[in-house]
Amino acid sequence: MWLLALLAAPAVSLAREHLQVFVTEPYLELHTGPGRGYPVFTVVPRAQSVDVLFRRTDWFKVRTERGVEGWASQKDMQRAVLANGTAFTFDLGDRSGFTSHRWEVGMFAGDYGGATLISAYTSFSFNSQLAAELSLGQFLGKASNGTLGDLGLMHVIMPEWRLSPFLTIGTGFVHISPKATLVQPAERTDQTAYVGGGLRFYLTRRFFVRAEYRAHEVFTKRNANEQVDEWKLGFAFFF
Amino acid sequence: METGIRVLLLTAALLSLPGCAVRNWIHHRSEVRADRAAARQEAAEARQQEEDEDASPPRVIDPDVQRRRIVVPKIHSSNVELGLNYGALSVEDFGTNPVYGITAAYHVTEDFFFQGEYGRSTAGRTSFETLGGDIQLLTSPERRFTYYNLSLGYNFLPGEAFLGRGIAMPSAFYLLGGIGSTKFAGDDRFTVNFGAGYRVLPSDWIAVHITVQDRVFSSDLLGTSKLTNNIEARIGTTVFF
Repeated sequence: MWLLALLAAPAVSLAREHLQVFVTEPYLELHTGPGRGYPVFTVVPRAQSVDVLFRRTDWFKVRTERGVEGWASQKDMQRAVLANGTAFTFDLGDRSGFTSHRWEVGMFAGDYGGATLISAYTSFSFNSQLAAELSLGQFLGKASNGTLGDLGLMHVIMPEWRLSPFLTIGTGFVHISPKATLVQPAERTDQTAYVGGGLRFYLTRRFFVRAEYRAHEVFTKRNANEQVDEWKLGFAFFF
Repeated sequence: METGIRVLLLTAALLSLPGCAVRNWIHHRSEVRADRAAARQEAAEARQQEEDEDASPPRVIDPDVQRRRIVVPKIHSSNVELGLNYGALSVEDFGTNPVYGITAAYHVTEDFFFQGEYGRSTAGRTSFETLGGDIQLLTSPERRFTYYNLSLGYNFLPGEAFLGRGIAMPSAFYLLGGIGSTKFAGDDRFTVNFGAGYRVLPSDWIAVHITVQDRVFSSDLLGTSKLTNNIEARIGTTVFF
């Protein structure tokens, strides 16, 4: 049933009316697949239109007036116009997108208080400088393993710079389970708070590298709180 | 008595004063109404006159054009790929066993994609256990092998797969590399995974994958600490959203 529902979903989205764009260059090349390596199998001459069915990465699946379907590149589609003569504009996924975008997703490898850290995050940007972000991670150490989750705010200081610094602040939890082979207190879950900062470096297209440090304060049930340093480096993309 | 008459007369006079005012006000209102009605009529006449003047030179062609309002439909982005897979996992020293899992991928560009995987298997018996009779290294729950990882994928060698004369399906090879964690023998271990796969798309929405990956982690289960290679081969199907 679930698989059937999955299969039915795309059919519904196909039933919508499609955007019609007109070719202004001498011709528009259509490839057999969404990539520059797939061969060109037909062209659409100038002044003819294509229906834009959907988009996958930087390629548009289009249908010609004759009903032939193929893939047109983002670069070629930028020169097409709408029925009223205005330019066909869309989200390009370039450097300006790095400065201002809605969503980010990324993954990291790093160090959490001496343990190896695997972490992933997603963030939602309110504007080019302020974003809310959620990160989840697992750390694997010699003495103990555990998971951590953080929710916080990120402030990008200079979003228009290619190498742009940022600051973060937030709160979260850490769950620590000591390894069975050592005599340690039982598993525990504590609330945490953190401040941190880092650098984002735009690579190409929708990718950037993100390096980050966070100073965690773990509110333990014992007399003293714990401080844990988190260092991480990873890839992320925006959309 | 005199006082009573005075009061009466004064009362009458007092009552009559506002009465006069009301009468005057009513009169005034009716005048204002009449003025306004006259102004409206004048304006209406003026408008009529203007319209008559506009219409006076009859047009040769009466254009019947309605301005089209163009609503630009949103273009659906189909970059997310979700799927199920099934295959065989060779857990080092513990034999080869069936593995099943789920994958989720996001295609960022035509070349690169991010992929998350989760899979499950149950390790078998080591040859030491098989030969040793009743010896059990691990309990049954400890033999459960679960992993997850986050990988970066790179598509290369794009092409087409042909089925008979009439069907051509886009295809590509891809390389995968990532990090994750494996839970086996009651412990979580940092795991590095790398491998390659082949993807073919019978339709724009469905893909079939064949993937081979090695999952490497450090283990000290059999006395000494060593890097174990756990090779997995699987076939899967995914749907693009």
